[in-house]
Amino acid sequence: MATLPQLIEEDIRQFDSALNDLLTKSEATSALIMDKGGFLITQCGEVRRFDFTTLGALAAAMYAATQGIASLVNEVNFSSVYQQGENFSLLVHNVDEHCLLVVIFRAQISVGAVKFYALNTISDVARQLQAAQARTPGEGFDLSVLNIADTADLFRKKQA
Amino acid sequence: MAIINQATKELQVKIVYYGPAMGGKTTNLVKVHENLQTAQEKGKLVSLATSSDRTLFFDFLPIEAVAIKGFKTKFQLYTVPGQVIYNTTRQLVLRGVDGIVFVADSQYEKMQENVESFANLEDNLRTLKMNLGDIPYVLQYNKRDLPTIAPVEYMEFLLNNRDVQVPSFSASASKCDGVFETLNMITRMLLHKFINESGRKSA
Repeated sequence: MATLPQLIEEDIRQFDSALNDLLTKSEATSALIMDKGGFLITQCGEVRRFDFTTLGALAAAMYAATQGIASLVNEVNFSSVYQQGENFSLLVHNVDEHCLLVVIFRAQISVGAVKFYALNTISDVARQLQAAQARTPGEGFDLSVLNIADTADLFRKKQA
Repeated sequence: MAIINQATKELQVKIVYYGPAMGGKTTNLVKVHENLQTAQEKGKLVSLATSSDRTLFFDFLPIEAVAIKGFKTKFQLYTVPGQVIYNTTRQLVLRGVDGIVFVADSQYEKMQENVESFANLEDNLRTLKMNLGDIPYVLQYNKRDLPTIAPVEYMEFLLNNRDVQVPSFSASASKCDGVFETLNMITRMLLHKFINESGRKSA
């Protein structure tokens, strides 16, 4: 199964710059880039206000469920999911095969405006992901430096 | 698939607890959440369940392992709904899985459901163009504290009878027995896999 490339600082810097640009233009509250499996890649905006780890996992699952619905109505893909709230709304938009963009914005802000600015962000993020994919694999971090002996008890149970 | 983020020095890994309905998948996550030593970072346990506490979509628990050589390892634990009708949902949760814990119910009358659920896991992975042979997984024989249980040897014969045998654990998840042993084994197997793959790539 194809997977995300290893991401280096340059990638994250480019993602953050694209997200910050989106937040400035759209006046959205927070924006995140997610892997479709539910992993959070990076986040910008009001990062302490929400639990992004959980929000990301749920948003990725919601998007995946929507893709299931799309196929039931003979659509290849619903490219985005919009949830309207009383205080905050949420837009989840497809970026590429592996990634999603999630934007949280105040409910007074028009979803049309957020979508409009998000399209630029999406193409910036997709371009950076392609660049990361094309990078020489040898440049990646070598996991063999991890000391496997240390993993004997990664998770320890509380003593009774 | 796991994510390696060198900017934040993070490795993110997805583990899915799979198995028949009412086998104790959610209980495993609840016990990990309750009993994890406080020094380790754990997130909130999220359960998307029906009013009768049956998993509807999935349960989700993010936990963070102690840093290994400066690299943070974040594990996302998911369960799938066990009931047969929720198969589409199980496929969604399996997307991007790195490791699997198959939680079998040790009661005699559940043996058929165990076998069916295991076959269903293989089917669903095939649908996602994945193969159980390529994914680290462990077996957990749960509910060993109940009176009408099948011998471990019999369960091994039913569920661990493939070319390569995988580690299996007896457990009573409700008492937290075997829960951490299972989790630590799957995490160890996953890290070994990443290290081996990384070694092959750089060779």
